[in-house]
Amino acid sequence: MATSLTFTTPKLTNSFSSPSLRTLYSKLSIPLSLSLTLSSSSFSYSSHFLSDPRTLTCLPLHRRRPLSLYRDRRRGFASARADSENGAETARHYEFDLFTIGAGSGGVRASRYAANSGASVAICELPFSTISSETTGGVGGTCVLRGCVPKKLLVYASKFSHEFEESHGFGWKYEAEPKHDWNTLMANKNAELQRLTGIYKNILKNAGVTLIEGRGKIMDPHTVDVDGKLYSARHILVSVGGRPFIPEIPGSEYAIDSDAALDLPSKPTKIAIVGGGYIALEFAGIFNGLTSSVHVFIRQKKVLRGFDEEIRDFVEEQMSLRGIEFHTEESPQAIIKSADGSLSLKTNKGTVEGFSHVMFATGRRPNTKNLGLETVGVKMTENGAIEVDEYSRTSVPSIWAVGDVTDRLNLTPVALMEGMALTKTLFQNEPTKPDYRDVPSAVFSQPPIGQVGLTEEQAIQEYGDVDIFTANFRPLKATLSGLPDRIFMKLVVCAKTNKVLGLHMCGDDSPEIVQGFAVAVKAGLTKADFDATVGIHPTAAEELVTMRTPTRKIRKTSEGKTDREAKAAAGV
Amino acid sequence: MARKMLIDGELSQPNAEEAHYDFDLFVIGAGSGGVRAARFSANYGAKVGICELPFHPISSEVIGGIGGTCVIRGCVPKKILVYAATYGGELEDARNFGWELNEKIDFNWKKLLHKKTEEIVRLNGIYKRLLTNAGVKTFEGEGKVVGPNEVEVTQLDGTKLSFTAKHILIATGSRSHRPSIPGQELAITSDEALSLEELPKHAVILGGGYIAVEFASIWKGMGLNVDLCFRRELPLRGFDDEMRAVVARNLEGRGINLHPGTNLTQLIKTENGIKAITDQGEELTTDVVLLATGRAPNTKRLNLEAVGVKLDETGAVKVDEYSRTNIPSIWAVGDVTNRMNLTPVALMEATCFAKTVFGGKPTKPDYKDVPVAVFSIPPLSVVGLSEEQAVDEANSDISVFTSTFNPMKNTISGRQEKTVMKLVVEAETDKVIGASMCGPDAPEIIQGIAVAVKCGATKEQFDSTVGIHPSAAEEFVTMRSVTRRIPAGSKPKPNNP
Repeated sequence: MATSLTFTTPKLTNSFSSPSLRTLYSKLSIPLSLSLTLSSSSFSYSSHFLSDPRTLTCLPLHRRRPLSLYRDRRRGFASARADSENGAETARHYEFDLFTIGAGSGGVRASRYAANSGASVAICELPFSTISSETTGGVGGTCVLRGCVPKKLLVYASKFSHEFEESHGFGWKYEAEPKHDWNTLMANKNAELQRLTGIYKNILKNAGVTLIEGRGKIMDPHTVDVDGKLYSARHILVSVGGRPFIPEIPGSEYAIDSDAALDLPSKPTKIAIVGGGYIALEFAGIFNGLTSSVHVFIRQKKVLRGFDEEIRDFVEEQMSLRGIEFHTEESPQAIIKSADGSLSLKTNKGTVEGFSHVMFATGRRPNTKNLGLETVGVKMTENGAIEVDEYSRTSVPSIWAVGDVTDRLNLTPVALMEGMALTKTLFQNEPTKPDYRDVPSAVFSQPPIGQVGLTEEQAIQEYGDVDIFTANFRPLKATLSGLPDRIFMKLVVCAKTNKVLGLHMCGDDSPEIVQGFAVAVKAGLTKADFDATVGIHPTAAEELVTMRTPTRKIRKTSEGKTDREAKAAAGV
Repeated sequence: MARKMLIDGELSQPNAEEAHYDFDLFVIGAGSGGVRAARFSANYGAKVGICELPFHPISSEVIGGIGGTCVIRGCVPKKILVYAATYGGELEDARNFGWELNEKIDFNWKKLLHKKTEEIVRLNGIYKRLLTNAGVKTFEGEGKVVGPNEVEVTQLDGTKLSFTAKHILIATGSRSHRPSIPGQELAITSDEALSLEELPKHAVILGGGYIAVEFASIWKGMGLNVDLCFRRELPLRGFDDEMRAVVARNLEGRGINLHPGTNLTQLIKTENGIKAITDQGEELTTDVVLLATGRAPNTKRLNLEAVGVKLDETGAVKVDEYSRTNIPSIWAVGDVTNRMNLTPVALMEATCFAKTVFGGKPTKPDYKDVPVAVFSIPPLSVVGLSEEQAVDEANSDISVFTSTFNPMKNTISGRQEKTVMKLVVEAETDKVIGASMCGPDAPEIIQGIAVAVKCGATKEQFDSTVGIHPSAAEEFVTMRSVTRRIPAGSKPKPNNP
């Protein structure tokens, strides 16, 4: 589901920080010695980095592309090392230079680009199904089959109802209110998913990657078993992603997860969604737009832990205005099925009855079971995520991992970045660390959220003195539609350097708007740079370059107390 | 010039000299530029007066309204109609997403018109209050320049007011220009098109600029039969050629009849409408003909010749880099100067004017990398140089990155319309010197890209930014391979239409 961050996973118990760098960097502290080696000598680094244990037996098969040929092409690390050894020792021959387990965003990206770099690559993936399990998956992975793509398609579908409502204010009238047919949507969505999984297969094929259908399991640091057949590889990449997690409570067998929610046989009439993370909010918007009655149950006081506090308040308010009912500080205790087949959700505060569906959006877990990881000694965190260094290398030097299975920043574009960096490291002689700074992300709630950089709270913590610019306005469209839609925007600016540290927005088109600004924030541009840019009129986005007066200036006083100086807008 | 400005700024500080004039600044025209200049000058402590013609949606020599073109007859009402028209396409798109829509869908133009007028009246009121709150004295009537430091305002009842002012600012904007075609009086301009009593069934539009293209999209979305005639091979001269072709293809794809290389030669009134005759020998029978062939600065009745303010051959007020005319006490901003006719540019010019004259800080408006949008459906938005301009101007090789893709929404809706994006990169410096996009949300997407381009961001900085998935905008940061590289010194493509 990797479109945003897994806020509901229990790992984020840190009261202050969001998903971001803080957690990430602490998790990535292991390879410090590695980078030190790198800085002292790139040669010693690379030889250290590539030291392949050669005590293991292998299957001396030359399937696609003999390694000798590969070596002759003088590309990548492996060849460089082989050259340096100058044939002093018979190089061990592997069937593949890279064997990837899991053909999702990260796995496909790494495999394609590895193959493009001259490596012989195989990838294995479970058979296609819209619902994932220990035995089903599909080329394309979570993003394409059970995440970003189907989710966004349903967001598009559900958004029309709001547009019909808006359109009244613009003179459009319908003789009968538009009705939604769930089956048409599911059929068209699934046809699209089939098309996409086909495209992904073709991408692999065209790149010369050998695709093997089946369940991959690591037998030793250089051997993968796929349904009883063994393959040897110089490097093994684990990119098996994550899956939704439903906590064990009485009646949890009646609950559905996001996989199922994307492919239901019929539309819910009334649905309980448990969870306050991005998945919960996105599905709340989807089902509300498709005219189901939607109740969201969250343990905390607010939705979207880790996001900017004002954004959290704003999105909940806007979603409530569209008809979603939020039950805050309510933890589920049991699901009860009544005689008429309807479901009741019992919480610490009471019981709500009459649900056709109860959905749990309570986090995702890495798919690390039954992969043979424990046997070969790949270290994992207590969540079951694979521990990797900054180059995505596990505790076993020939085994690497990218994407959600490492539980770093669970987003498709981040998995792509990790996959790409890995290819450069392994096969292009260019050791590359993924850069997790200023990674933008979106929540496709209705209205959606886009954000990049630090939240106000993080910025205060890190920089002390910050200027906050906000805009909260009724967009032109809403003045005509008469709907209570608003847009909220925020710039977090470092008082000392004038750098824009963070940008947050909730309202129509936020994800599209934030992308370009993310380039600016990532490039370290200042508020003055924003101001020097002329607006595009009339757009919502122009507000972000026309914020003249800070809403508040936050200064750390000498006692270390944060002083919030509210300043009235000058009205210019 | 800069030194002179500074001295001037100092002189304008409230002191003995102030007593000689009724106002420190008198502004003629309360549109985007005029209102901004008046307010900001007042905030610097200047005593400011402003005059504007009475309010009406359709402008003339004697009618205007506080808010100006943008608010009353331009950006705002246009965007409202674009929103309304977009639903036409949305309703088509909804079906494959499972929505069952009755065949009988009604579009009530009069209701929209009423609500649009309501909104404009509201905004007109907001602008009035902005001026009042800033302490600007507002006069309703026609302003004229009488001397280098004197203006005359003819009020509605014919009474004339005379004021002296240390500085006079001309911000009277522009109006639609009608070409001299026989029968042109049968046609309308964009002013009337925004306020038609009845929605026509068939419209012929003459012009290839952004106004023509936007109205073609608006009317098509509202269900009209639309013919768009323009003289060149492609609409939107001045924009990137490749993007022009994309816009043309999209307009056609949405059902607009394009007539490239076509001019109208005559309009004839018939029993049930207008017959528009083209120079290609076509006869188009229509309910309405829109002339969108350009706009002309409003300088005729300002009496500028009398005081010797120089105009250019188009009638625009000639100004220096600080918006000063050849008469040192008279300044001009916005469309009346015909520099870059955009609301945010008028705002920028006005802000710079106030800083220069009353803020003690001479400031030139910066016209580099001003982003623009065309609200066609789907819209086009650009910042920086077009590919042709880049090839023309750059000293190094030019790398062009393009991406053409089917937006995700179309995979289900079945709409056959590609989104196209382009980055133009100076190979030597790796700087992104131009970005353009045609597709849904393009103007919203380009705004942030414009910040990066304006600040000289490199292609590498674009690439190092992680995408937001799934969005259209993420394509801008994931364009990995160069589409073409044009060596330095290459001539621009010869068949530039």
